[in-house]
Amino acid sequence: MSYYDIDAILTDAEKIPCTFQLDVPDLGYLDNNPTHALKTGTKIALPLWLAEMLAIANTGGGDEDGGKSFINFDLPAALSNDVVQALKADPRAVPLRDQSAHFYGLATRMMDLSDERELGDVLRKSFVTRASEIALHARKGAGGSGHHKGDDKGAGSNLGVGASGEEFLRGLDEWERRLFRKAHDGTKAGKEWMEGVKRH
Amino acid sequence: MALPLPPGLTHSEVAFLAEMEMVTVVPRQRLDSIELLSGKTPPLRPPRREQLPLWLALLLKKQRRANIVPPPWLHPTSLQDIIHKETKEDPAAFSPPPPPASSYRADVGRPGMVRRNDNGLDMASPPFRNSCTADALPGYLPYHWLEVAEALLAHAGDDMGAPAGEVRSLLRDLVEVRAAKMRSSTSALEGFGGGLMSLRGVGAMELAETRGFVLGVVDGVRRIGAAAEANRREEEEEGGFRNDREEEESDDDMGI
Repeated sequence: MSYYDIDAILTDAEKIPCTFQLDVPDLGYLDNNPTHALKTGTKIALPLWLAEMLAIANTGGGDEDGGKSFINFDLPAALSNDVVQALKADPRAVPLRDQSAHFYGLATRMMDLSDERELGDVLRKSFVTRASEIALHARKGAGGSGHHKGDDKGAGSNLGVGASGEEFLRGLDEWERRLFRKAHDGTKAGKEWMEGVKRH
Repeated sequence: MALPLPPGLTHSEVAFLAEMEMVTVVPRQRLDSIELLSGKTPPLRPPRREQLPLWLALLLKKQRRANIVPPPWLHPTSLQDIIHKETKEDPAAFSPPPPPASSYRADVGRPGMVRRNDNGLDMASPPFRNSCTADALPGYLPYHWLEVAEALLAHAGDDMGAPAGEVRSLLRDLVEVRAAKMRSSTSALEGFGGGLMSLRGVGAMELAETRGFVLGVVDGVRRIGAAAEANRREEEEEGGFRNDREEEESDDDMGI
């Protein structure tokens, strides 16, 4: 992840729900209440870059409890139990982009912050399953006047991408889009070469 | 500005390398030996079969000075056999590459290209393996199968033992079968720890085509598992550290 990676920057801007662990004076405007201090226990959605800092840093005060962190954070709605259960049931049926355009990026950042072993397993499974579906669509999309005898969908033409395929492709998050582009470029280059053999 | 080319070889580069493959030709005219950078070509005397690099064979073919003998694996029965193997016998794996030749015929055309290890096994890698000559084994796809087959079909279609259209459609089937296999092979990465993808028997052109995708999938799986991996390492290190400290303490005890 480089400094100039636009996807990393956008992932940083994703909001996650946080709960403040202490009173903060003059920050009330975050809670639409500019005249008062921010109370302990207020729930606010903060961008990931800020929440990360506040969660890691601790107040330093109070030797007996070792200093507590400014906020506690929960998993964002994109990674909520509903979504994870849906992914477990059928990874292909979930439009990840509706949850977050940087779904996997957000998920990896959250897993860095807290230990979510089960989430990691589910995500790996869905990423891999969706990847082979992506490759199928990439190959079909690049097919043109194709030879589709071997295609396991038996669609026979590009029409196989049709309604459900488009739906699926619209639901890809940024990682998967990049994967789709790579698979598509490979297939396209292969096709171009295949057509150019005669001319050499 | 990033380099516009993706990592790895492009299709035309792979096809260019494949032109180093040796093929068998039946010359129609006499041609003296030519000194090439890679060594001398054998002098051509009409009825005698000789082995030439693919690019030279194609050149002679275009000038009608030679006919190319297609490699045995390009015969329709061999291709059907391979398709059967890929679809019925072992639908998960790619058909195996040709076995290493144990007895290697002295290669006059390219001296110094024969490399053996101590067991006498041929250690040469694809362009130097003579896997596209008339002596090659049927039923095994060599590394450069798609490139050589396409080149031969495009320029020497009339030299095929069978109708070129039949060979072409069988090749198309094979390409599709193997592409589908390549897609589904990513699911091997599903399990934690045991995530291995076997690419044994995959050809150079298929690698060029799917390199971006497969690397993308592997990288994605790595990034998803990065946090769990870091945790595991940390735990291991902590465990190790504690052991070290205990040992130190026991050493101190001994000292006292």
